[in-house]
Amino acid sequence: MSLKLEPDWYKHAVIYQVHVRTFSDANGDGIGDFAGLAQRLDYVQNLGVNAIWLMPFFPSPLRDDGYDISDYKSVHPSYGTLDDFKGFLSIAHERGIRVIIEMVLNHTSDQHSWFQESRSSQNNAKRDWYVWSDTDSRYRGTRIIFLDTEMSNWAWDPISKSYYWHRFFSHQPDLNYDNPAVREEMWDVMKFWLELGVDGFRLDAVPYLIEREGTNCENLPETHAIIRDLRKRVDEQFPGVMLLAEANQWPSDLRPYFGNGDEFHMAFHFPLMPRMFMGLRLEDRKPITEILQQTPEIPSSCQWCLFLRNHDELTLEMVTDIERDYMYDIYAHDKAMRLNLGIRRRLAPLLENDRRRIELMNGMLMSLPGTPIIYYGDEIGMGDNIYLGDRNGVRTPMQWSGGWNGGFSTADPESLYSPPILNPVYGYQAVNVLSQKRTPHSLLSWMQHIIATRRSTPVFGSGSIEFLFPANHRVLAYVRQLGKETILVVNNLSSTAQSVELDLRRYKGNILIEMFGRNIFPRIGDLPYLLTMGPYQFFWFRLRQI
Amino acid sequence: MAEGTLLTDDFLRQIINVGEVDIVVGLSTHNHAKTIGPLTAAIQAGILKCFPRERVAIINADGGSQDGTPELVAKASIDDTWREAKVYALRTLHSISVRYARAPDPGKALQTILAAADLLRAKACVLISPDSTTFEPDWLQRLIRPVYNDNFDLVCPVYTRQRSEGALVRNVLYPMTRSVYGRRIREPYGSEFAVSGRLATDFLGNGISNEDWCRMGPEMSITIMAVTSKYKVCQSFLGIKPHSTRDAHDMVAVMRRTVGALFSSLDSKFSFWSAISGSEAVPSFGTPVQVELEANRVNRKRLLEMFSTGVVQLEGVLRSILSPPMLAELQRIAALDINKFEYPAELWTKTVFEFAASYHNSTINRDHIIQALVPLYRGRSLTFLTENRDGPEQDIQTREESLCADFERLKPYLLEIWADRK
Repeated sequence: MSLKLEPDWYKHAVIYQVHVRTFSDANGDGIGDFAGLAQRLDYVQNLGVNAIWLMPFFPSPLRDDGYDISDYKSVHPSYGTLDDFKGFLSIAHERGIRVIIEMVLNHTSDQHSWFQESRSSQNNAKRDWYVWSDTDSRYRGTRIIFLDTEMSNWAWDPISKSYYWHRFFSHQPDLNYDNPAVREEMWDVMKFWLELGVDGFRLDAVPYLIEREGTNCENLPETHAIIRDLRKRVDEQFPGVMLLAEANQWPSDLRPYFGNGDEFHMAFHFPLMPRMFMGLRLEDRKPITEILQQTPEIPSSCQWCLFLRNHDELTLEMVTDIERDYMYDIYAHDKAMRLNLGIRRRLAPLLENDRRRIELMNGMLMSLPGTPIIYYGDEIGMGDNIYLGDRNGVRTPMQWSGGWNGGFSTADPESLYSPPILNPVYGYQAVNVLSQKRTPHSLLSWMQHIIATRRSTPVFGSGSIEFLFPANHRVLAYVRQLGKETILVVNNLSSTAQSVELDLRRYKGNILIEMFGRNIFPRIGDLPYLLTMGPYQFFWFRLRQI
Repeated sequence: MAEGTLLTDDFLRQIINVGEVDIVVGLSTHNHAKTIGPLTAAIQAGILKCFPRERVAIINADGGSQDGTPELVAKASIDDTWREAKVYALRTLHSISVRYARAPDPGKALQTILAAADLLRAKACVLISPDSTTFEPDWLQRLIRPVYNDNFDLVCPVYTRQRSEGALVRNVLYPMTRSVYGRRIREPYGSEFAVSGRLATDFLGNGISNEDWCRMGPEMSITIMAVTSKYKVCQSFLGIKPHSTRDAHDMVAVMRRTVGALFSSLDSKFSFWSAISGSEAVPSFGTPVQVELEANRVNRKRLLEMFSTGVVQLEGVLRSILSPPMLAELQRIAALDINKFEYPAELWTKTVFEFAASYHNSTINRDHIIQALVPLYRGRSLTFLTENRDGPEQDIQTREESLCADFERLKPYLLEIWADRK
């Protein structure tokens, strides 16, 4: 079953990010699967989100959590079958939930048959499907992304006795997008999933598709040409499908990925996320307003994707050295919390399990311009395990109940793909869906409420934003507007009570209606509008001329 | 301390918006448009370089400038809309000004700044002279770190001076303070210094700021209060102290703020200082900045003339202040030829002590006593300049130390005449 065609559905979506492996295990083998995910769709629906983003579920040696794909047109046997996927997709659509899947365009696993053929001989028909070289000195201006593990972007292949190009791990050779056959093959892969009914793709690592000597091999015009071609094919053959760019870049460098509304529909706003954490801890709105003021306008059909946490580390690539040092000191004092240029922690531990701060951060996530993404488990305040390798500490089993394996699986605990969180603060016995469903004031209940409130108006998804700059720099205030509907958002970033005077004279005569409790606040007059706010408190006001 | 009488509603509103800070940088200004721009730029650079994470507010207490000084200070703010290529600020920097009076009043200015620091709950408050043309961004760190990191309550500066400069500090303030209060603070009347939040609060809260000696010389008073109240005091090497032309024109006013405040403090602090003999060093941070000494270019004839004329014209006044042998000795040296003139260290020490005792006993109007000291100070300055005209830095320091030793050695003389001179 396909959902009704809504060309801009992604602008009004609230997306829930899930890894099949981590969510629910139906067959009791200790690994999450599509059957388990399908069984939990009631929960996802009740949470109030209307889209799911699935992390890679394709066959893979799983050396990079599935981002090393060895077969693009199938499902990893641990997660079920293609039919299981179809069943899941159908149930999701029945519940009005759209499904976005990963498409790793840039590279494959070195176990993919294409690479095996390519390396087998220099004369093989697929030799040019990857980027080969006799020397490792080409493209020297290209940065190394995984600084902790990789020394070079070239790796020596002892079989074909030459170097191959890889921007990520050395077991992830980059595809050669200068080869038309590669481009056609990857379109064929996308078409395969689109014909099954998926609603969008998160295209992984898009800036790196093309290499050119003398450049940094990122964001090249040829890469944009490829994206435009894919978008054209999608629009023509699968209207309503959304393309989301994963490109960890500055907003000004990201802007070209929207093109004239003819490349990506959405892109992650990477630099905003660390600055939200920074602003909160500095108790100063400056980092947030600064980056948003530097964010260029995008075509009206396009949208930013906002997130607080995801499956990766809290990336600190898009911050200055001073900011990075500050973030490390504040949020990752233990070196084990650091990975590459980032912090591998979940939302609740990052915010010291402070409910007020968690709410404020989610309040900003839901009210700033963009489509919010919630990482699975953050809606109940799940913790992490920094002693697991790589980013696995934030990919532990979903905590459904206080029972066996936290309700994730009936398997022996020792056979789970990852140990669940067990500590007394964040462990599944303390933090789980079942207990929070029974409590009207739980974080889960609160998240349901704010998601519903966010979705009650199109203003947050499509409206303009105008910052107010009250003299109190601890207060972040902005007006969101769409047509005749106006919403005032006021956030107190401080741990102490604050008073703030807002210049709202242009809205003189309006009354303020607080959107969660629907209480009426005094009418706006000529004087500065005075609000007093508790620590980390935030307000969403609907302005009404009555 | 009633902040309400000091702080206007508008200033309070600005303080509320600033909220809580870690550091306050205080600037007391009056028509400083010529120097304040580069100075605030240096302060801003110092904050961004040395304290990028701290919450800092620049508080400008202005005494009625007509040249746009407060507006120039306000430009040091860094807010959401601030854009400066190659400079990055982690957080908001507030720079706010208040006109505390229509005319300059150093005591009120200092109280205003400290009251703001108190309300803002600042851990450290650093005062910077708006005249400073040699201020380096690093000075901020040298003044604040001892308060911020090492829990000191008062950080006094140590400047590098040219051989002809700092005569008042070198001949009166340092040796007298050292001798009387027993602490070797090189610049008890510094143009730049830092205080802890608790010292600022105490200074405002216990009424000291309203005492005569505090009103006369607030900067001097802070030092005396810190020493006598057993606060942790240290000093930090800064750099070259430029010669201030502002003060040079009104020596009497400078004497009132410094020597007057020092003399005045002796009244209420007698029980403290009378029990002290000798002196002890205070912890020092940093290393002295070396400077190439220049030959001094002071009009020595003019100084001698001011001294000699003063001794003659103020004979009646001096007779009320000084002992007969002392006055006779001064009259003797006032008649000397410039090439033979010398105002010896011991004679100078006793002169200062006799002035202090007379000041205490108010043998005549106290302000007249201070005014009468000025020509004598000119005479001592002449000797100071002559002695330091050439020769290495080491010799200058040796003579300074020798003068201080005289002040310490002769302190019993001060005690002896303290109650007698009526």
